[in-house]
Amino acid sequence: MRLSFPWGAAPLSLLAVAVLAGAALVATSAAAPPRADLVFALFSKEHKQAYEPLVAAFAAKHGVRIEVQHADMRALQSRLQSGFLAGAEVPDLVELSEPAMGYFTKGPLNDLGFVDLTERIRGEGIDTIIPQGRFAMWSTRGRIFALPHDVHPTALVYRKDLVAELGIDVAQLATWQDVLRIGRTVTVDRDGDGVIDRYLLDLPAEGDFGLRTLLLQRGGGLFNEQGQPCFDDENAVEVCVWYAQASRGPGRIAFPAGWGQQLSKAMSDGIALFYIAPDWRTRQFELDMPHLSGKLGLLPLPAWEPGGRRTSTWGGTGICITKACRNPELAWKLINTLYLQTEGMGERFASSNILPPFKASWELPEVREARPFWSGVAVGSFYAALAPDVPANWVTPYTELANGKLNEAFNAIAVAHEAGEKDLAAVARRELKRCADYVRTAMARNRFMGEAP
Amino acid sequence: MTLARRLAPLWLLAPYIAITLVFFIVPLLDAIGIAFYQTNGARSRVWVGLDNFTFVLSDPDFHKALINTAVFTLGSLFIQLPLALGLALLLQNGKGRVTRVARLIIFSPHLVGQVFVGILFSVLFMPRFGLINQGIQSLIGWGLEERWLGDPTLVMPALILTSLWMYVGFNMIYFLAALQNVDKELVEAARLDGAGPWQVFLHVVVPAIKPVMIFVVLTSTIGSFQIFELPFTLLRGNGPDNAGLTIVGYLYQTAFTAGDLGTGAAVGWILAFIIFMVGLVQIRLAGKGGGA
Amino acid sequence: MTGMQAFVLGAVGLGIALSLGGPRGRRWATGYMRWSLLALAAGLTLTPFAWLFCAAFKTPSALLQHPFLPPLSAWSTDLTLANFTALFTAQPGYPPFWRYLLNSLFLSSAATVIQVVLCSAAGWALAKYRFKGRGVLLAFMLGSMAIPSMVLLAPLYSLTFHLGWLDTWWPLLIPGAVSAFGVFLFRQAALAVPDELLEAARIDGASELRIWLQVGMPLVRPMTGAFCLITFLGQWNSFLGPQVFVTRQELLTLPVALNNYMGVYSQQYGVFLAGTMLAIIPPAILFFALQREFVSGLTSGAVKG
Repeated sequence: MRLSFPWGAAPLSLLAVAVLAGAALVATSAAAPPRADLVFALFSKEHKQAYEPLVAAFAAKHGVRIEVQHADMRALQSRLQSGFLAGAEVPDLVELSEPAMGYFTKGPLNDLGFVDLTERIRGEGIDTIIPQGRFAMWSTRGRIFALPHDVHPTALVYRKDLVAELGIDVAQLATWQDVLRIGRTVTVDRDGDGVIDRYLLDLPAEGDFGLRTLLLQRGGGLFNEQGQPCFDDENAVEVCVWYAQASRGPGRIAFPAGWGQQLSKAMSDGIALFYIAPDWRTRQFELDMPHLSGKLGLLPLPAWEPGGRRTSTWGGTGICITKACRNPELAWKLINTLYLQTEGMGERFASSNILPPFKASWELPEVREARPFWSGVAVGSFYAALAPDVPANWVTPYTELANGKLNEAFNAIAVAHEAGEKDLAAVARRELKRCADYVRTAMARNRFMGEAP
Repeated sequence: MTLARRLAPLWLLAPYIAITLVFFIVPLLDAIGIAFYQTNGARSRVWVGLDNFTFVLSDPDFHKALINTAVFTLGSLFIQLPLALGLALLLQNGKGRVTRVARLIIFSPHLVGQVFVGILFSVLFMPRFGLINQGIQSLIGWGLEERWLGDPTLVMPALILTSLWMYVGFNMIYFLAALQNVDKELVEAARLDGAGPWQVFLHVVVPAIKPVMIFVVLTSTIGSFQIFELPFTLLRGNGPDNAGLTIVGYLYQTAFTAGDLGTGAAVGWILAFIIFMVGLVQIRLAGKGGGA
Repeated sequence: MTGMQAFVLGAVGLGIALSLGGPRGRRWATGYMRWSLLALAAGLTLTPFAWLFCAAFKTPSALLQHPFLPPLSAWSTDLTLANFTALFTAQPGYPPFWRYLLNSLFLSSAATVIQVVLCSAAGWALAKYRFKGRGVLLAFMLGSMAIPSMVLLAPLYSLTFHLGWLDTWWPLLIPGAVSAFGVFLFRQAALAVPDELLEAARIDGASELRIWLQVGMPLVRPMTGAFCLITFLGQWNSFLGPQVFVTRQELLTLPVALNNYMGVYSQQYGVFLAGTMLAIIPPAILFFALQREFVSGLTSGAVKG
């Protein structure tokens, strides 16, 4: 009988590919290194690249080996969760983003996978060198589990050239009501084809980050300091009604410019004039739209009432030490090096435009440097001036849920607005209450968070 | 029967049984157990009985996920499969190069992974700049600014459109293969008896391809009920007003976003039960020609 | 009226005119309709590919400027290879791009070969031997397809840890090595193999192993081709699994590497799309190489649905 591969050509050729690729891999790979003394996991390529030189210097100084692992946020979270559940190996240090942290704080305090940093932070007076409100995002039941990486003050970036052409005096945009009024004169269909080609503002039409940012600015939020849902209070009613009028239906003044290249395109074409911009977004503008150099301006957010707060916050990262960490002292030292020393912070700011919460860094030359792209404005100082006013953003395990529910309520309000509803505030009160009650019900099921703060 | 012959199934099946035992049954038992607990990490675990199940079954969000998934499944079954069958009918006769190339083209979207498709289509569906929006605008003068992925009423059509692109060709191949087995002489005979094309299709073609139809309907149903990655990447989450929330998306949200593995497991069991019942009904409806 | 509207109206008008032109015209109209429908389907299918292909070569600012390629005059400014060079440019802390490619190639082909061998064995046994518990096994196998894999993720992770398999490729290769879908498919294909062939081989003194490999498997080769393609594609495009079980960058796969270009702060669509284009090439080659086996494979498998 003739000898042949029983399964035929297809698997045989794949077998050949596997063998070849395998051989190439064996030839080129180093053996897996033994586990480093500290494993530091994070979710952003930008962070990894910014930390690596400092981490290398730190490792050399202490004579240890440190590994910085980067993974997709979703994968990192799954891995940590499964790791905690199985008692499996987890990284020693982890950088988490805002909603992910809330999720890990679901259980009894002494069962959380992360080290309670409250004593260290208070003991070393760190809460005085970092804006106090920034710890809100990383606290549960009065205990702090992470050190904040950023402040993310939020302002408006606008097309200075187009705004000047239209004769808008940005000083007149003192309140959001002014924005709505002036916006209606600016938002027009210029070529008469039935499609509006210029809007005043960029806002996601589903609520989303725009709604949350404005709600925080108003003094509201998803949760209060006690960790209870509060997005059915009068702040939320006011913000939702305004937001529905601004972003939906006839008379809207906002275009959903979205993300990435779509955002760049809308900005370059001047489809919207003003964009909500936390510090980190300004760096993206610089990188994605070099051709807009000198054409963009920065403006604090219009207030909700004359004299009110003119900034908000969007997003956030913090660093935690896991309980499984084999050398918490060393880990804490590394955190200090990365988060609480000005060394290297200037370069990091210059490459990311992310203002560190460490107040001493706000005086660094890189932060105060006038940027040609922003027509000579010092982006760092601009945001640093807003930083002390940044509202506290209380995060709980139910933040993601509440966020979805806020958008759900908003959509109902916006649909009522589009249908010509006169008493929008009443609709808003009803819908927000329904959605907040849903979150309360979900929270009541948790058998672990009952203990007093 | 010889001993060798009696032993053969044993060693042929040994790897399947061993691997399934360790990597399917063991985790499965674990997952069954966890559905009756509320957990957090390795140490906190509270017995809650059927509470996870009663919560899920009474949760309006779950109802929404159920409806969305059902709509999506119906969309796949009643839009995608007829389209796939229609294309297969159009392509069944030609033997030439054109037919072969057309087959390849229509199958090609399946080469692209769901994660890529999600991101690719989120660009194509952009209001104002998206290719789809621009195409529809130039065709019927409407739709340039429609937020396919942002307007709750348009999310499901967008999802079904995207999955049409991905799967029509894939299912078409199955039908095409089945059509090769239709008895040509029987078709000729029916024609000579004066049957029109529709009658030929109904009385000759359909009975011949019924087993494959059942297979395709079953696997499409299972696949559609478990859809997750596509809406998740396309909508960066569950979509506005949860319009893109599917059952597995709900499972993901409870188990991995909210960290309630017990409730997540309960959702999994409810979904498995639904799929099982739907599958049984389909096999029953199809009569004896169906199933394994 | 836009150009597109004019084109559609013209095409429909031609069809109507043909069908009004007597019996000969009607025959022409049928052919015309058939081909125009096919052209429409092919066109709609290819449009996203065309868009993807063009986008991969465009600069970020030109990406959304023109639906496809920019006018010839703007080629020098709007077209670029930068998206591709960016993929292959070394980044500190990350392995080179070809490493991800190689990992994906190895994992996908190895997983496929393992699955072909193991699934075909189990499917063959279920189709061709009568033994106690066969019905139960068959029912269990079909039922297991109803269980969403996400439910098993956390327990599987724990198991992987206890086996010491975290940060290796074992959890990506072994648990999936005997997919119920594959066993089912091979069983269906094997049902079509006539039992007389097996008996004849036995009379000739062939061992059971030989019967499986040299009598059975060559006859289900077409289905094997189809299964290879489907399995390869599944592993090639798998995203979350590799990231959950593997942490070392050197061991990760192509989709993971590409997803890194859709970052938290910035999204580099051009680079991502260029990578997507490259990622389609290996499975496309596989498809072209296997197409004959694949289509005829489904044909023979379709005898038994």
